[in-house]
Amino acid sequence: MPELGRAALLVTFGLTLYALGAGAAAAWLGRRRLALSARNALVAAFFSTLVAAVVLVSALVRHDFSFVYVAETTSRELPMPYTVSAFWGGQAGSLLLWLLVLTGFGALAVRLNRRWAGDLIVWVVPVFAAVALFFSFLLVVVANPFETQAAPSDGAGMNPSLQNPYMLAHPPMLYLGYVGLTVPFAFALAALLSGRTDERWLIATRRWTLLAWTALGVGQLLGAHWAYVEVGWGGYYAWDPVENAALMPWLAATAFLHSVMIQEKRGMLRIWNMILVILAFSLSLFGTFLTRSGVVNSIHSFTQSSIGPWFLAFIAVTVGVSLTLLFWRLPLLRSPTRLESPISREAAFLYNNLLLLALCLTILWGVVYPLLSEAVRGESVVLGRSYYDFFLRIFGLPLLLLMGLGPLIAWRRASFRSLATTFRWPTVAALVAGVVLILLGSGSSIPGLVTYTFATFVAATIVIEFARGTRARKALADTSWPGAFSSLIARNRRRYGGYVVHAAIVLLAVGVAGSSAFQTVAPDTKLRPGQSMRVGPYTLDYRRLTQHQGANALEERAQLVVNRDGHRLGTLAAGKNAYAVEQQVSNEVGIRTDWLRMEDLFVIADQIDPNGTVYFRVFVKPLVNLIWVAGFVFVLGSVIALWPDAREQRRLVARSYAVGIPATT
Amino acid sequence: MLALSVAAALAIFLLYTSIAGGGNPSIQPSALHSHPGKVQLAGRVLGPVRGDAHAGGLHFSLRDVNGTAAVPVLYRGSVPDLFRAGRDIVVQGQVREGTFVAQPGTMITKCPSKYSPKKSGGST
Repeated sequence: MPELGRAALLVTFGLTLYALGAGAAAAWLGRRRLALSARNALVAAFFSTLVAAVVLVSALVRHDFSFVYVAETTSRELPMPYTVSAFWGGQAGSLLLWLLVLTGFGALAVRLNRRWAGDLIVWVVPVFAAVALFFSFLLVVVANPFETQAAPSDGAGMNPSLQNPYMLAHPPMLYLGYVGLTVPFAFALAALLSGRTDERWLIATRRWTLLAWTALGVGQLLGAHWAYVEVGWGGYYAWDPVENAALMPWLAATAFLHSVMIQEKRGMLRIWNMILVILAFSLSLFGTFLTRSGVVNSIHSFTQSSIGPWFLAFIAVTVGVSLTLLFWRLPLLRSPTRLESPISREAAFLYNNLLLLALCLTILWGVVYPLLSEAVRGESVVLGRSYYDFFLRIFGLPLLLLMGLGPLIAWRRASFRSLATTFRWPTVAALVAGVVLILLGSGSSIPGLVTYTFATFVAATIVIEFARGTRARKALADTSWPGAFSSLIARNRRRYGGYVVHAAIVLLAVGVAGSSAFQTVAPDTKLRPGQSMRVGPYTLDYRRLTQHQGANALEERAQLVVNRDGHRLGTLAAGKNAYAVEQQVSNEVGIRTDWLRMEDLFVIADQIDPNGTVYFRVFVKPLVNLIWVAGFVFVLGSVIALWPDAREQRRLVARSYAVGIPATT
Repeated sequence: MLALSVAAALAIFLLYTSIAGGGNPSIQPSALHSHPGKVQLAGRVLGPVRGDAHAGGLHFSLRDVNGTAAVPVLYRGSVPDLFRAGRDIVVQGQVREGTFVAQPGTMITKCPSKYSPKKSGGST
């Protein structure tokens, strides 16, 4: 079996090498049959990678510990879902997943666009093949998932904190996102290489970018929720390098998704879009590198491995080649239109882009600063939480405000009078909210108060947009209110899907501000059974310590009774699990969610002494659940915007042809 | 316009770095003697680990990950799940009278590997 997997990877390597060589030659010389053969090689590479993946998964399922990979990542007691998830848990397996998704996406994207963008596709194939070649090279030469050994009786098991349902979904979502960004990158490079720098590469990849971006966003929220319920320090995001690794490409892709609209509508920002897509893809490679290389001090520097230098070299080549191509094609990318006024939709999009990029680059600076300072000054200096928090406020709050302003400002140029009319009610709503919040005592945190106020403003603009649009449709089509509402969304999915995503970001902002700026933290408290403590409006009675032998861990729990304002609300358990095989302990926090107040009572049993004494850390986190609600709204908005829309596709294609595109060859 | 915005972003950036000074040095025990101030100390835990993190404080030593220089450490507060002798950790604090006194609750453990292989131990 391992021989089959190894052989399949070698075949993939050969196929991608062929697809790169033959594809580039075919595109350069204009050979149709050779181009077709290169395309088929890319599709075949997907299937040979699939064979390798099936071999690895079946070895995991059969507990075949003669595979070094299987022995290192699983054990016999490990429940089956986690055993399968070990496929993307270790380094070699996750690279294999990268390659599988990459070749799959490549084959699909090429197939879907071959008819109307054939002149681009001939170049897309070799670009895709080049990226796939790098990953298959790593798998063949550096990180072989099919290494064998004399089978030990049992494997090493899985890190207990990864034995959580979120960990089943979080890594593959991030990989979908990282890999998905290859599609717009490959089409962008194909546009540069072929010299067909019209808007078609954007139209062909819009949904791919959106899909990758959604997956990255959902993956991060899943990771945040995992950190919240499982890692158990009371937070959900710690500006850790590995977390930032996913946030940076997401921010770059967010900027790209917005600036693309300017290019489609007004033909502006062509160079800028190229830069953004190159940046987003390079950052997704950098993200994979950070996660996998252990080069930065991080709570999850998973491995000190040998793939680091290869990744850095590949990132350098990617950036170098892309920028060279961009400079070469600069004359083709000059925009026919210019920005007419600093108060216009275009300008708002531009500000949005600059802020997103500024945030992205300051985070990048924070991530690489320890390495740079070590190289320059000889000692590594780490930028802490305050650095990131500062820039999140400085760039994030104006961004939040722009989210309300941008979509309602007129194209080309807007007058101050029209602005006053458009934003009258949202401004009133925001001011009223601000005053009410101050009266309620939210003035204790200025950034928190500003976030709430801005969020109200944006929410008001979104509600008004939906209300206005629905009324207009009802008047036009003379239907019921729900009918008018749904036809409004159906007629412009992209716009209204976008508003729904904006609403999700509003919820996210409010949740983050509420849970960080307005949380109550109880000082560490030592309780014996029978004693109690107060946190905000809550009283916690520590009753007793229980022990229970679970499937693969000894579960110790402090049983608490929760009271609020004198009323008994129920019980809560917080404790630790001791995993025998892995010889590790993990915190199991107790969380009581109050959906009416949208707040969480969060209890950590920090230290359990043999005599039953427990040191508790307790938080009350208002509005934290809005962050998870935001995740659902985010997906809903993305699905609305992603939904296939033949009419829109036809319109965009027709428009791009009207601009005068040579017939496909 | 573009240039103006970029300049504004850069100005904010410089303002911040000049005010906040930006970050603590992250060093290993062998470099401690040249850093009397607050630092982030990274190293490998040397047993025995004694004391109570919430009562008198936890006593242990940290040594360079690839070296022998070591320093005694006193730590109070929350102890991460993965803390144990032989693990790599990061703490913040400063040296006081020969002992590295960590700020409460600043300990971070680094996973030796995402799936730590079983090294030693009674079972098997």
